[in-house]
Amino acid sequence: MKREFRLSTRREFLGQSAGALALLSAIAAQRASAAPTRARNPFAYDVSRLEKTDPRLVTHHEVARWPAPQSPARRLGLAPDGTLFVCGGHYVTAVSPAGERGLEIALSAPPECVAVAEDGAIFVGLRDHIEVFDANGRRRASWDAPGRKSWLTALAVRADDVFVADAGQRVLLRYDRSGKLLARLGEKNRERGIPGFIVPSPFFDVKVAPDGLLRVTNPGRHRVELYTPEGDFEGAWGRASMDITGFSGCCNPISLALLPDGRHVTCEKGLPRVKVYSATGEFESVVAGVESFAANAKACGASDCSRGGLDAVADAQGRIFILDRVTAEVRVMQRRA
Amino acid sequence: MNASTPSEPTSRRAFLRHGARLLGMTALGALGGALAGRSRSEGWVWQIDPAKCLHCGNCATECVLEQSAVKCVHAFALCGYCNLCTGYFEPEPNALTTAAENQLCPTGAIQRTFIEDPYYEYTIDEELCIGCAKCVEGCSRFGNGSLFLQIRHDRCVNCNECAIARTCPGDAFRRVPASRPYLLKTSHAQ
Ligand code: SF4
Ligand code: SF4
Ligand code: SF4
Repeated sequence: MKREFRLSTRREFLGQSAGALALLSAIAAQRASAAPTRARNPFAYDVSRLEKTDPRLVTHHEVARWPAPQSPARRLGLAPDGTLFVCGGHYVTAVSPAGERGLEIALSAPPECVAVAEDGAIFVGLRDHIEVFDANGRRRASWDAPGRKSWLTALAVRADDVFVADAGQRVLLRYDRSGKLLARLGEKNRERGIPGFIVPSPFFDVKVAPDGLLRVTNPGRHRVELYTPEGDFEGAWGRASMDITGFSGCCNPISLALLPDGRHVTCEKGLPRVKVYSATGEFESVVAGVESFAANAKACGASDCSRGGLDAVADAQGRIFILDRVTAEVRVMQRRA
Repeated sequence: MNASTPSEPTSRRAFLRHGARLLGMTALGALGGALAGRSRSEGWVWQIDPAKCLHCGNCATECVLEQSAVKCVHAFALCGYCNLCTGYFEPEPNALTTAAENQLCPTGAIQRTFIEDPYYEYTIDEELCIGCAKCVEGCSRFGNGSLFLQIRHDRCVNCNECAIARTCPGDAFRRVPASRPYLLKTSHAQ
């Protein structure tokens, strides 16, 4: 462990102390004049400018909204036939795009993530292990926990592979369909040029793109990274920025969806917003801005942001389904004509 | 990698035991001495419930003491050790450096220390902290909520009616046993 730079010099320290003294004097003056409860906070953390979205950037509008079947609602999955699967409470529930409920699977613990294979097999991630169900909701298998610190937050299925994002271990796990662990991907490796995942809170997503590469969020580095299924690092896009073109706060994006043409849909917390990026990662437009998620934005402010958050999936018609974890609602967004 | 909850009142002994690991408090020795001196082992003291705090700024301005008895504390177990710490940096910093213009804290009370790429540790200098909660709002809004306010009982004079509690819009102040004077955030993951 080493320090990259010194802390305050004596002069800086004295400057800061003088600043603190000046502030205390200002506080004393304010006390003398102020009423017991002031309307304005002189120490306000002001991001109001960033909470307004330029309407010219918004390309989508809401065409439907329905309540998540169970709460607290956590994540969405999309089956190949277009059926949505919603993780909420101790259940995974199948829901049609119009919001009609179907199959419901009861679980022993809250589901964190879900993915559905071509043959209808349903993979459900609980916090520390995977359970597998057939298309009728009968449990077929329960896999061993990958690690003591595991916190599984995303699943993606491709042919014979199941990819699991483990936020607790900060690793992407590759399994075969029988539950045999094949590889640990994305761990820091200087020789292979792999930067390693920075996952400060339980938001870590993976998708398999039509080009065969994995798209993995790396929230602490404010970007989306591309990996081969063998774990070779192929590149990354995204940058930290509070402005609309970048990823805000300490750690975003928190989740990711893929449009049929390969473009990306990203979700952020803190400043809850959903945006579209091109297949190569250039910012294109806003699906829904902070104004659309007032309760979600406030939830993050009151205690901490690990309970807020958004999730999204995109279907074959390009509709984007957004789950607001705070209001437990799903919004169906369509591109404006 | 945590979700956090405020805990039940924490005993002085537990607080001191976990202090070095859990909290960025710099004056634990002084704290122990001061508490012993005031012999508050019986009775009740004021404390802030971090889950109810709205980060309104009153804690900096309403305490009867010249410098507020309320300080920011840091639950390291909840911290992401982020490079871009939203409790440390202005919402739109020019650069991720320790230059004063990039810092959120009005008194420069937060120290940023490089650990290893890309992790940084943040500690609070209590002599400089005025309890304004600006960093708490930044950390709660965008981070893991590992920064929060607590009344420090080596400073608080335990007013019958806490002057801050009277104006607290979050109704976050409550009486806790003097033997367990802190309401710490803990981790579900632990
Ligand atoms: S007065 Fe209450 S709401 Fe305001 S900063 Fe203090 S504890 Fe938080
Ligand atoms: S921002 Fe306010 S509460 Fe936070 S360390 Fe600085 S003075 Fe203390
Ligand atoms: S009890 Fe008195 S000294 Fe303690 S925090 Fe409240 S106003 Fe300040």
